[in-house]
Amino acid sequence: MTIQNRESFLDNLANTLGRPRRKTGVERPKWSLSPQWEVYDGLSQDELVDVLEQQCKVIHTNFKRTNFDGLSEMLKSAIKGHDGNKVLAANDRRNKEYGLEVIFDDLKQEGVDVRLWDSAIGTENQVFAEQADIGITFSEITLAESGTITLFNDKDNGRSISLLPRVHVVIIPKSTLVPRMTQAVKQIHEANKRGREVSSCVSFISGPSNSADIEMNLIVGVHGPIEATYIVVDDK
Amino acid sequence: MKVSLFITCMADIMTSNVGKDTVEILERFGCEVDFPDTQTCCGQPAYNSGYLENTKATMKHMMKVFRESEYVVGPSGSCVAMLRGYEAIFRGDPEWEEEAKKLAAKTFELSQFLVDVLGIVDVGSTFKGKVTYHPSCHMTRILGVKAAPVQLLQNVEGVDFVELPHGEDCCGFGGTFAVKNSVISGQMVQEKADHVVETEAEYLVGGDMACLLNIGGRLSREGSYVKVVHLAEILNTVK
Amino acid sequence: MGIRIGDPSFETRVQEGIENDFMLNSVASAQGRFRGRRGVATEELGNWEDWRSLGEEIRSHTLENIDYYLQQLSDNVSKRGGHVFFAATADEANEYIKEVVKRKNGKKVVKSKSMVTEEIGLNKALEEAGSEVIETDLGEWILQLDGDVPSHIVTPALHLNRDQIKETFANKRGYDKSNTPEELGLFAREELRKDFLTADIGITGCNFAVAESGAVTFVTNEGNARLATTLPDTQISVMGLERIVPTWEELDVLVSLLTRSAVGQKLTSYITGITGTRLAGEIDGPEEFHLVIVDNGRSEILGTEFQSALHCIRCAACINVCPVYRHIGGHAYGSIYPGPIGAVLTPLLDGYENHKELPHASTLCAACTDVCPVKIPLHEQLIRHREIMVEKNMAPTAEKIAMNGFVKWSTHPAAYKLSSKLARTALKPWTKDENITNGPGPLKNWTAQRDFPAPSQQTFRSWFKERQKGEKSK
Ligand code: SF4
Repeated sequence: MTIQNRESFLDNLANTLGRPRRKTGVERPKWSLSPQWEVYDGLSQDELVDVLEQQCKVIHTNFKRTNFDGLSEMLKSAIKGHDGNKVLAANDRRNKEYGLEVIFDDLKQEGVDVRLWDSAIGTENQVFAEQADIGITFSEITLAESGTITLFNDKDNGRSISLLPRVHVVIIPKSTLVPRMTQAVKQIHEANKRGREVSSCVSFISGPSNSADIEMNLIVGVHGPIEATYIVVDDK
Repeated sequence: MKVSLFITCMADIMTSNVGKDTVEILERFGCEVDFPDTQTCCGQPAYNSGYLENTKATMKHMMKVFRESEYVVGPSGSCVAMLRGYEAIFRGDPEWEEEAKKLAAKTFELSQFLVDVLGIVDVGSTFKGKVTYHPSCHMTRILGVKAAPVQLLQNVEGVDFVELPHGEDCCGFGGTFAVKNSVISGQMVQEKADHVVETEAEYLVGGDMACLLNIGGRLSREGSYVKVVHLAEILNTVK
Repeated sequence: MGIRIGDPSFETRVQEGIENDFMLNSVASAQGRFRGRRGVATEELGNWEDWRSLGEEIRSHTLENIDYYLQQLSDNVSKRGGHVFFAATADEANEYIKEVVKRKNGKKVVKSKSMVTEEIGLNKALEEAGSEVIETDLGEWILQLDGDVPSHIVTPALHLNRDQIKETFANKRGYDKSNTPEELGLFAREELRKDFLTADIGITGCNFAVAESGAVTFVTNEGNARLATTLPDTQISVMGLERIVPTWEELDVLVSLLTRSAVGQKLTSYITGITGTRLAGEIDGPEEFHLVIVDNGRSEILGTEFQSALHCIRCAACINVCPVYRHIGGHAYGSIYPGPIGAVLTPLLDGYENHKELPHASTLCAACTDVCPVKIPLHEQLIRHREIMVEKNMAPTAEKIAMNGFVKWSTHPAAYKLSSKLARTALKPWTKDENITNGPGPLKNWTAQRDFPAPSQQTFRSWFKERQKGEKSK
């Protein structure tokens, strides 16, 4: 793809810095401090779940926890609790493993319009997402400190699922918990170094959308989802 | 211990009692106090207005004044910070770099000197009254002296200490700012005076005469009964 | 619009600010909340100073090697299907973007909040070219409806209260509900959703670009930047040349510093990293992506003593603690960048001539320097600005004379002694009961706001001298 005016622009920068242009050979130094690694260092997975639960209160997010067998009931009740008549879920590799396919079939029986993101039908996905009550995703990496779930959006997991529906429900396998963003970006950085291309959209999402633009008063739910529910699932 | 008093031009001319109290406190703790009598001003008014090159003459003069001193102690966080700041200003100046560095290392604000150098946290004075304290900007943020004056003050017998709300906010003095942007400065000092009155303290204590003059001037304009005193005055009130 | 806003005269702007009680109340209460939240969020870490030092180290390394990292970034964006345009000036950036919009037949453009697009005046350029431009950040949308300009770099409509906002919605969009923030917010959501669904082009700023992979990232709470990069087929992101980190690992540190300093959040609701165009099979995201990297005066700051001003991550912590800002509001600065960072940055980007008051609009209290998450010595840079204006002969003559006088006075002990002795007598005519309420000369401005005490009866030095004599004769 095109890159315009680069040479003159960067030459000028080198010039004002009073040195020749640096095109290669710059190494990122080893930083002299690393406070980010100290946060919640050494906590067990269960302790991290506790941190996450506390943080969910701060970010106005419903926190639920269940074991593998309880997921079905938990998810169904979350969907009902949010008046979910139209539900859109990511076509996630874990849907089967976690029994979501069965749950979705049950829901359909009950008259809930449940659909999976389907790259074959194009923008119809977005149209449905816009009308959907609930979008369901799996967290890839979960940041306990900030109550953040991470999505690597792709053709089976559209960006819209966590954005357009009124409610965002996230399934969080306990093993995905890490202390904070530090551990997540390290994974991304290292995958990138190994030559694995980073997802076209990495989303770190912490609860529902909000704004403080009116008198610094918190409004929960602006352009994105108005509510969010996290379901932490203990590993099998 | 030999101490040269850096009186600051403000205290010299406007509030000489602060200087007297400083001398007496230092002597009480065994310091031999002298007063290099050619000292003038630290140079802040011109330096802060952007007249760096001209002000260097003033700074050099002050470095010469205190060249022989063992310690330099002054009753003002702001002026002491300026004297210490010469070090950064003359960095790379072959003639003055060393001298500025030496001055910085031996110069202390009064409370800082008492606590950090002499190791005294209770000066054994008595002062009856409800007291609040304004931690001036340069004292706390430039010089980095936060705890010492409060500690000394709280240990004075009879002092009923109340925290000043939003104490860390600037009083609006800012040197020539008070004259150049007098309207804004007026709003700021008004707010500060309001906070002082809110505490219902009888005395407002501070470690920088300029800020006290500013806040005191506003309190006086409003006819407030709050009295403004320098920390040295309280520390020198012995039975 | 560009960087300059409001009435040309600083005095008028300040006066307007000081007289606007509505605005000052909003600003003061917002500042109070910001400061409280920032305080908690930074203290709970327990090692905030380490974080700041790390932030400074990262920013300074990146700026020192900015040509290298921009080259890496542009290579990576291009590899992922994006176009990169380096714009030396605001005009070049606007022209390029207009070109793209025209070629894509972009009738409707949705924008997420971006200071750099304010700075280059992009909206005006696009509107002139016939596009409808819609600001979708709640604060920006309010301002756009109202024909107003931002007064803060994080919450641009900070100066307005709920009644004024309700008023605007009612007048411009037929809003008929209450003034509660929830209902106002919901109304904006509904109105703007329609625009998102029909927009041709999404334009965003960029908080940080990640050189190693070519990602542009957005740090937001509302979700509008996500919508603007999800639904339209064309995405244009605009960034100042300094807004870049080497790798994702540094992104973590700077984002953490930013969200805690700006709003006291551990992270904002959305941190989104978009890399290039959508991939095969993906429905969401742009099929065409342009990254516009803007200089517009920044390169002239590189290599100077102001270089660290480019470390700024636009958190507004310095603005939120600034007592001058609190008392005059953002518009008084006459720049889209207000507060301490605005006073430093504006003269650098737009020259001293139109902004010569800004470096003096500070008491040098250093509250800004104290909170800056990347340790920019803001108050020292303000002094440096003052020095440059003196060097450029821009200082008023009376001040120059006074300062020369000061230097003479402070380097001649005899003159100093004499005048200090005379001060009390000299002020006699204005003194009443040891107090001056209406002083002469420079004291006039002082006593307009507050009293001035009469100088001491005896200067300290003469007391000390007498005491020494006394001691000797003892
Ligand atoms: S100068 Fe520092 S405190 Fe101010 S906005 Fe920039 S990063 Fe934040």
